[in-house]
Amino acid sequence: MANYFNTLPLREQLAQLAKCRFMYSSEFADGVEALKGKKMVVIGCGAQGLNQGLNLRDSGLDVSYALRPEAIEQKRQSWKNATENGFVVGTYEELIPTADVVLNLTPDKQHTSVVKAVMPLMKEGACLSYSHGFNIVEEGMKIREDLTVIMVAPKCPGSEVRAEYVRGFGVPTLIAVHEANDPKGEGLALAKAYAVGTGGHKAGVLMSSFIAEVKSDLMGEQTILCGMLQTGSILCFDKMIEEGIEPGYASKLIQYGWENITEALKYGGVTNMLDRLSNPAKIKAFDLAEELKDIMRPLYNKHQDDIMSGHFSHTMMEDWANDDANLHKWRAETAETNFEKTPAADVEITEQEYFDNGILMVAMVKAGVELAFETMTAAGIIAESAYYESLHETPLIANTIARKKLYEMNATISDTAEYGCYLYNHACVPLLADFMKGIKSDVIGKGLDLDDNGVDNARLIEVNDALRAHPVEAVGSVLRGHMADMKKIV
Amino acid sequence: MEPSSRLARIQLNKATISFDDRFTLSEIDWIIEPYQHWVITGTNGSGKSALAAALAGVGKIEAGTIQGLPKNIGLVSFEAQAELIAKELKKDDADIMDVISLGTPVNEMIFEQCQDPELASELVEKFGLTKLLDRAFRKLSTGETRKVMLIRALSSKPDLLILDEPFDGLDVDTLAMLQAHLASIIDTVPMVMVLNRFDEMPDFITHIAYLDKQRLEKKRGDKKRGDSGRLAFTVDRQDEAAFNELYQLLHLKTTDLSLPEADPANKLPALDPSQPLVKLKQATIQYGDTVIVDKLDWTIEQGQHWQLSGPNGSGKTCVLSLITGDHPQCYTNDIFVFGFQRGNGESIWQIKQFIGYVSTALQWEYRVSTSCKNVIISGFYDSIGVYTKSTDHQKKIADQWLELLGMKDRADQPFNKLSYGDQRLLLIARAMVKHPPLLILDEPCLGLDDMNRQLVLALIEKICAGKETTVLYVNHHTEDKIKEIDNHLALEKNH
Repeated sequence: MANYFNTLPLREQLAQLAKCRFMYSSEFADGVEALKGKKMVVIGCGAQGLNQGLNLRDSGLDVSYALRPEAIEQKRQSWKNATENGFVVGTYEELIPTADVVLNLTPDKQHTSVVKAVMPLMKEGACLSYSHGFNIVEEGMKIREDLTVIMVAPKCPGSEVRAEYVRGFGVPTLIAVHEANDPKGEGLALAKAYAVGTGGHKAGVLMSSFIAEVKSDLMGEQTILCGMLQTGSILCFDKMIEEGIEPGYASKLIQYGWENITEALKYGGVTNMLDRLSNPAKIKAFDLAEELKDIMRPLYNKHQDDIMSGHFSHTMMEDWANDDANLHKWRAETAETNFEKTPAADVEITEQEYFDNGILMVAMVKAGVELAFETMTAAGIIAESAYYESLHETPLIANTIARKKLYEMNATISDTAEYGCYLYNHACVPLLADFMKGIKSDVIGKGLDLDDNGVDNARLIEVNDALRAHPVEAVGSVLRGHMADMKKIV
Repeated sequence: MEPSSRLARIQLNKATISFDDRFTLSEIDWIIEPYQHWVITGTNGSGKSALAAALAGVGKIEAGTIQGLPKNIGLVSFEAQAELIAKELKKDDADIMDVISLGTPVNEMIFEQCQDPELASELVEKFGLTKLLDRAFRKLSTGETRKVMLIRALSSKPDLLILDEPFDGLDVDTLAMLQAHLASIIDTVPMVMVLNRFDEMPDFITHIAYLDKQRLEKKRGDKKRGDSGRLAFTVDRQDEAAFNELYQLLHLKTTDLSLPEADPANKLPALDPSQPLVKLKQATIQYGDTVIVDKLDWTIEQGQHWQLSGPNGSGKTCVLSLITGDHPQCYTNDIFVFGFQRGNGESIWQIKQFIGYVSTALQWEYRVSTSCKNVIISGFYDSIGVYTKSTDHQKKIADQWLELLGMKDRADQPFNKLSYGDQRLLLIARAMVKHPPLLILDEPCLGLDDMNRQLVLALIEKICAGKETTVLYVNHHTEDKIKEIDNHLALEKNH
C-alpha cells in the first residue's frame, strides 16, 4: 500500500488540505433520516465504539456490534460492554453482510487488518465509516469501489461523547467524505445523519477532508497538544525543584496549571489567556514566548514536514511492526520522570495563582499554539482546521493531565498521538536546555516579585496589539462565536 | 433598660397537650429564654394557635411538662376575642328583665382590671377608640374589639405577651402604630406571636418556631381522633440562610398560586387516553449473572399516582431508568411508553418529552454553570444546560416558576452557588415546566434538611392536586407521604 496523499498531484493535495468549513445548523434539518432503518454495525467496542453506539441507538438507529470470535468466546471486555448494554453482538461473518453501514472504531494500528477482514464481507453499495483518516491517507488502504467511505470524528474522548449527548448536547465533530469512494454521492448525507445521531450537530460540525483531518490532527497532537504539554511539564517541574520550590506545590502547579490557564484560552483565545496576567507578567510571558518560538520553530517545521512527506507515519508503522518496542520504552520512561513521580501536595492554589506563578507555562502554551497554527497554515492547511487542531483542543488535553498527569494524557490519546508526543518531547527537551538555564522561579513557581506593577505604555500597547493581531485570534474569535451561538447559555 | 429578674425561662419538655380530643400537640420540646421574641408559624392545621394558647394555660397536658410560665400573661387571639364576645352576649341573654341591656361599655372593658391606666389611655387615643369608650363592647366591629383586646393585654403589665395574629384586620396606620409600640416594649416583656403572613413579622423577632401537621397512627382502642401537630424546627433570626429558606417555605405554603401554564408553542403530541402511560412486561435487568430486576410487570395508567419503594439495591432507580430510556437494557425488554413500543426507531428525546424527572443523581449531573432561570428553561428541552435559543414566552414561564418558588430575586444567580435545597426546588420546577404527563420524583427529599423537605413536599402536593400530571414518587421515608398517592409498588431485593 502506498501513502495515498503522496499519490496525489500538488494541486489536489492543496485542495484537500484547504477543506474545512463550519456547517450551519440548517444543514442538519433532515436529522437521522438518511440512516433510519439502516443496519449499522460497529467494529470495536472501546470507549468510542460503545459510546457512539449508545448515542446512535438512543437517536432511534439500529446498532449492533461485530466482534472477533475469540472476543465473544472468551467473553472479553468488548463483549461485556456490548451485551450488558443490550446490543446484539455477533461475529464479522454473521453481521457484516447485513450491514448498510460499518463503523470502524478500532485503534489506528488495527485498521488495516480490520478493513481487510470486513471488506470482502460487506454488501454491495454499503458504507464504511472511519473516525480517523490515517488508514486511508497514510497507509493508502484501497476500498472497494462500490463502497461509500466517510469519516465522522467526534473531537472528544468517548466518555464525553456520551455524557454530552445525555445532557442534550453533543461534542464538536468533524465529518468528511473520501471522494475516491463516493459512488452514489450519498456520503455527505450519511455523514451528516451519523453526526446528528451522536449529537454532534448540536455542538458544531466541521466539514473537512480525510487529508486535512489526518495532516492537521497529527501535527496538533504531536506538537502543542501533547508534546508541548509533556515537555513543559517536565522542564517546569525540574526547574522549580532546582529553584527550591516545595516539590508537592510544584507538582500541583503543573498538574492543574495547564487546565486552569487553558480554560482562559478556551474562552477568549491566547489574548484572554495573557490578559489574565498582570501587565508586567504579560510582557514577560510575551517575551518568553517570542524567544521560545524562535528556538522551537525548526522543530515544528520538522514535525509538519515529516507528517506531510509520510516520514512520520512510515517510522511509526515500523514500530508497529516491531511490536511497539519504542512506544513501550518511551511510555515507561515517561512514568519515571520526577514530575510524574511526585504527588501533588494538598495545598490551596487559587485560579489566579496558576497564572501568576505559571508565567512560563502561559508562554509555552502561547508559543506552542501559535507555532503549530503558523506551521500548519504555512503547509497549506486551512486556518479553521489549524485552529481546531491547535488552540481548540489544548484545554481538552490539559484536562487529562489534571486528572492523572502525563500518564492519563498518554493513556487517553491514541497510540499515534502518544508516539508523536514522545518524538517531540525527545527533541524539544534538549532544544530548550540553554533557554531553561536562564529561567528563575519568578516566571515559574513564585511569580514576579515587584514593588510596582508599572509598565511602559508604548511597550504594553505593542504587546497587546501583537497578541490580538495573530491570525489564530482572528479565526478563533469567529469560530468561538459560532460555538457560543450553539452552546448559548442564554 | 435593665432586664428585670422577674422573667424566667419557659420550658416545654416533651409536652403533649390535647385540645378537646380533636387536636393534639405532640411531644413539644421548646425553650423560650427571657427577652427572646418568637413567632410561631407553620402549615395550616399544625396547631400554631393551639401552641400559643397552651402557653396561656389552654388544653390538657397529657404527658411531659411545661415550666416557668408567668402568672400574668397578656393574650390576644381570635379564640379569646370570641370567648369574650360570647360572654357579653350571655350577659344579655341572662337579663330576664324586659329592658334592653346595653352590655359592658368599652370603658369598663379596658379600665376594669387595668394595671397601667396611663398607657391604656394613650393607646385608646392612638387606636382611635376615644369616641367609642361609652359604646357597648358587643356593638363594636371585629376590628374594634380586636383593638380593645390589644389595649387590655398591653396595659396589663404582662410578663409574657401572646399575640395570635395581632395584625389581622388592622388598617395600615393602626398596624404601624402597634408595630412601633411593640418595638418599644421589647426590653420589658417577651412576646410570642402567631403569624401566617411572614412579611408582617416585626424586626425585633429573634426566633421562629415552625409547626408541622402530622397524622396520628390510629391505634386499636385509641379514642383520640383527628390530627396532631409537632414542632418541626426552630430558626434563630441570626441564621440568615435558614431564615431565607423559611421565608420561601412560608411563601409556598401560604400563597395560593396556581402552577404556571405550559408553553403553548411547544405542545406535546397527544396521548391516546385509552392506553396506559407505561407498561412493563416481565422487565428484567441483569449484569452478568446478577439479576437486579426480575420479571417485573407494571402498568401505570394515566392519572394513577404511584409510590415506588424498596430497600437499597432493590432496583428502584433501574426500573425508573427503563421508563425514562436511560437504562441501556430498555432495548432488551418489552416496554411500552407513551405510545412507543421501545426499540422501534424512536429516539430517547421522543420519550423524554413526556417525562419530568428529578433525582439526586440528576442534581449531581447538573454541573453546568448556568443561571437559575436557565435551569428551569432547560426543562423545555430535557437538557442539562440550555443549548437552544429560548423564546420570550419560555422565559416568562420560568419567571413565573421562580416567583412561585419565592426565588425571583435569584433568577440570574448561578445554579451551582445555591443551597442544595434550593437547587432541588429548581429541578422540580424544571421537571414540571412543560406539564409532563408523567412526573418521576426519585427520592426528591433525599439529603434535604427538615425545612427543605417541607418545601419540596409542599411543592409536590401542589403538583399532585392538579390533574394533568401523573406522579411516580420514589422514597423510603415513610413520613414523606403525599396524600393523593394511593398506588404502591414495593420492590424486593433480588440478589
